[in-house]
Amino acid sequence: MSISNLLENWSQFRHTHPVEDKPHDPYKWAMTIDLDACSGCNACSVACYAENNLPVVGKEKYAHGQAMHWMRIEHYWDEDVGEEGGREFPDQGAQFLPMMCQQCEAAPCETVCPVGATNHTPDGLNSQIYNRCIGSRYCSANCPYKVRYFNWYDYPSTDNVWPAEMAQQLNPDVTVRGKGVMEKCTFCVQRLAEAKVKAKSEGRIVQDGEVQTACQQACPTSAISFGNLVDPESRVHRQWRAQQVELDKDKQAKDEKEGGTELRGYRILENMRPYPSVMYLERVRESAI
Amino acid sequence: MMDSGFDRRDFLKVMGWGGAAAALSGCGNTSIENGKETVVSYVEAADYVIPGIGVYYNSTCAQCDAGCSINGRVREGRVLKLEGNPASAINRGRMCGLGQAGVQHHYNPDRLREPLLRNGDKGEIITWEKAYALIAEKLKGVSGEEIAFLSGGVSGHLKVLLGNYLASLGCKNHFVYEALAPGVVRAANKKAYGVEMPRYNISKAKVVLSFGADFLGAWVSPVHFSQQYAQFRRSVDGQRGVLIQVEPKMTLTGANADRWVPIRPGTEGVLALGIINALGTSTGEIAAAVKGYDRARVSKETGVPPGQIDKIAAILKLRSPSLVLAGGAAEGYAHGSQNAAAINLLNHVLGNIGKTVEATAAVPFPQMAPAKGNTAALKSLNDGLAAGKYKVLFNYAANPVFTAPGALKFKDNLAKVGFKVAFAHYLDETALHADLVLPLDSALEDWGTLVPEYMAEGAQINIQQPLMENLHPNTRGIGDILLALLKQRRPEEYKNYEDYYAYLRTALVQNKTAFGGHAVDDETFWNETLTKGIVKLPGTTAALSGRAGVAGLKLPAPVENDEQYPLQFIPSVNISLRDGRNSNQPWLQESPDPLTTIVWDSWMEIHPKKAAELGIVEGDIVEVTSRVGSIKTQAYLFPGIHPDAISIPIGQGHEAMGRYAKGYGVNPFQIMDAVFDRETGELAMHETRVRVSKTGQRVIIVKDESAAGAKQIREKIAARVSTDNVDLSKEV
Repeated sequence: MSISNLLENWSQFRHTHPVEDKPHDPYKWAMTIDLDACSGCNACSVACYAENNLPVVGKEKYAHGQAMHWMRIEHYWDEDVGEEGGREFPDQGAQFLPMMCQQCEAAPCETVCPVGATNHTPDGLNSQIYNRCIGSRYCSANCPYKVRYFNWYDYPSTDNVWPAEMAQQLNPDVTVRGKGVMEKCTFCVQRLAEAKVKAKSEGRIVQDGEVQTACQQACPTSAISFGNLVDPESRVHRQWRAQQVELDKDKQAKDEKEGGTELRGYRILENMRPYPSVMYLERVRESAI
Repeated sequence: MMDSGFDRRDFLKVMGWGGAAAALSGCGNTSIENGKETVVSYVEAADYVIPGIGVYYNSTCAQCDAGCSINGRVREGRVLKLEGNPASAINRGRMCGLGQAGVQHHYNPDRLREPLLRNGDKGEIITWEKAYALIAEKLKGVSGEEIAFLSGGVSGHLKVLLGNYLASLGCKNHFVYEALAPGVVRAANKKAYGVEMPRYNISKAKVVLSFGADFLGAWVSPVHFSQQYAQFRRSVDGQRGVLIQVEPKMTLTGANADRWVPIRPGTEGVLALGIINALGTSTGEIAAAVKGYDRARVSKETGVPPGQIDKIAAILKLRSPSLVLAGGAAEGYAHGSQNAAAINLLNHVLGNIGKTVEATAAVPFPQMAPAKGNTAALKSLNDGLAAGKYKVLFNYAANPVFTAPGALKFKDNLAKVGFKVAFAHYLDETALHADLVLPLDSALEDWGTLVPEYMAEGAQINIQQPLMENLHPNTRGIGDILLALLKQRRPEEYKNYEDYYAYLRTALVQNKTAFGGHAVDDETFWNETLTKGIVKLPGTTAALSGRAGVAGLKLPAPVENDEQYPLQFIPSVNISLRDGRNSNQPWLQESPDPLTTIVWDSWMEIHPKKAAELGIVEGDIVEVTSRVGSIKTQAYLFPGIHPDAISIPIGQGHEAMGRYAKGYGVNPFQIMDAVFDRETGELAMHETRVRVSKTGQRVIIVKDESAAGAKQIREKIAARVSTDNVDLSKEV
């Protein structure tokens, strides 16, 4: 992709989806995470390791920020806890927030890839083509959520990552990535592909609940829902509608109102206009106690 | 299974009992490319082995004792991933991270593969025949009293078989030991409710007041409670449930509470009585017993502000039914039973019995009911060992050299046993001291029946079946080993059972009427049982019979300030590492602790205020010293802990076991005092007092959170809605 090509066809590389020539039909995969239900237990994260062949990098590489957790649990404390003059204890608990690729509709990572290794699929995924990736890491630099993970090492041949026995656990449906390749959450694209092929062979589209991501399937509090946003019957669609969150807007009904509102749905860093496909539901805390 | 035309013979073939499954040899992902291996297609594929297609089998998770049912994905004869079995009332298709890591136990490169006999400092590989013969030889002339069998919690047919074996030896010394069992709470529950573990109905409670019960993290049956919690949060009769957590060190559950109440360690019972007093609804002997516990005194003793006590009492009064839980942080004291009794009394006073504390279903076969592990068993075993009572010791599913408090000097006492046999998955700290180590099948290779201690709904027996052929040819199932040992003692009785599988099948099929299979033939019953992975039973319901008693309830005055050891030591339970038996699973090591996000290491949590007093900053290597000994670890400044306490998580600090466990962190059991609960004799885990000193070294803590310490900085990342009356049930 030359610079001239990029400049001449800018709108082709930088646009929000759906656009008329590339409609989300029949699928637009999206997710909702209820932070009031999420307990921060890490089950989703471990399930992701199991499903997606994520390498365990070990203490030293973890210290260098090279952990490969596609799904990580971020936790937040109130700002005034433990500060001078602030509250002594975090007496309203912590806030947990599962963070993974938000599958942005106008993904900042996509436009900067010099080789087009990361791009948008018709079903609304931000996909990563491993064998096209040259490891420039521009995408990671440009990702506001810091959810792209780079293979600094060749993990399959690194000691104790996948010793012979453990290699047998690797999911054959998912590529084992080599050195110099960027990777990230795929919304378990291998499961989506399987479900789509099955549905197509039966002459229908994928029904709600027919396909689950690994994190969603494991979640002990059922905080994660996932499905086809185009399908008006899907739970995700109904949730987004009920929360009045619209995919292609950068300001939602909730943001219009000051202070308290019944609406809990929001998307992270929406004001940067990446149009993420993940809606979070705010945590609720009781003030009577 | 019959419906889908899948019969037993084919099933066995898939599972390798028929010797099929040719695709198993060598599955390294590069060896074919390298030309070391050739791809051989199936000449005749076994049924249900379709290249590229995953097949699912039900079994039971063995990573902890909760008894979640799992659904394992098997492809080309290899188990790849575990999902929850939606048919189980315990986990309803859900899984925790610990459970997910079960495959890493199975495929662990450090698993034992051959029977080992001690030869000086080395283990010499021997055959199973020789191992069995050796056991028989060593048992010759040894009386039953001189034999001890140490195990973790056992249930189902394994418990029956083990009982029979011990009976054949004339041995009554079966020590059932679990390092983190809720032993005191069980005893207190038995008194207060008439059962050791009632059904806690979190989803029916409008308020949950938990005294250190980490039910979302590591307490009793966390996946089950997590689901109940999600329902509770959405709505209980039109109101979102409110969670109050009282504990000196914040657990995962505490981090999810609407109000986390830090309390002076050990005074949980005082607060419970204070709340009863503040409620002001009780009469008679209860009122008399709590009369002295007015706000001022309770606040002074517990450190909880008087206003907070009032608020708790007010919300409990306003919203009924509620549920009060006594957990690990409340029971870990010499007066732990008293604490738990006071807390359970709250449930009586609030009228929660029969509403949120319900009768539990029991499996109608008492011989299969779980033998629950506790820590009092460790003490009596240790006493026996110290007195040199035992000549032969068997050890299964327990690692006391790692989990016994340093003050017990268990390792030294263990050396007094003449012949020690360990049935083990890893060469862990205890197996390392054994004379004979026998390698076990993983839970994903073995047969079994398990009866969970905590029954979610009706009674159920969980089926454990192999999800794949043995990874290593020379490991054996514990059932098979016991059967072989029984055949030495009672050959006539057991000669008809070729293996444990045959025993299990016969035992279940013979009783199929009781297991709900009266209308079908044996074959169908057995296949259906394996397909479902769960036998649901009508079950007998043990009605609650306890009463609100205050007799003998006496809470000690708070501890005096100890100049030499000024801090209370809280050995905390990490959600994934628990008692350390799973520490060699790398996913768990790299799964950050939810509260600190620290990986691959131990740490000491200390309140920032106390840290400032001692001049400690994050990453300082500190020496934590108790009467028993000292350990060194990194300091982590954590506001979610009482300033009078410090905490180090359990599960790290292995000196053996395997490459992912050995050498990471420190083992807090080493500095633990041997103090026991006065009533039950259970180990009082929180009774150790320590002092902390800086060593002068400092490290950068390896953790997932940013250097800013996970504060919400300017950007609204996740807002918090505070409201008096929320109902989320209308939401989609």
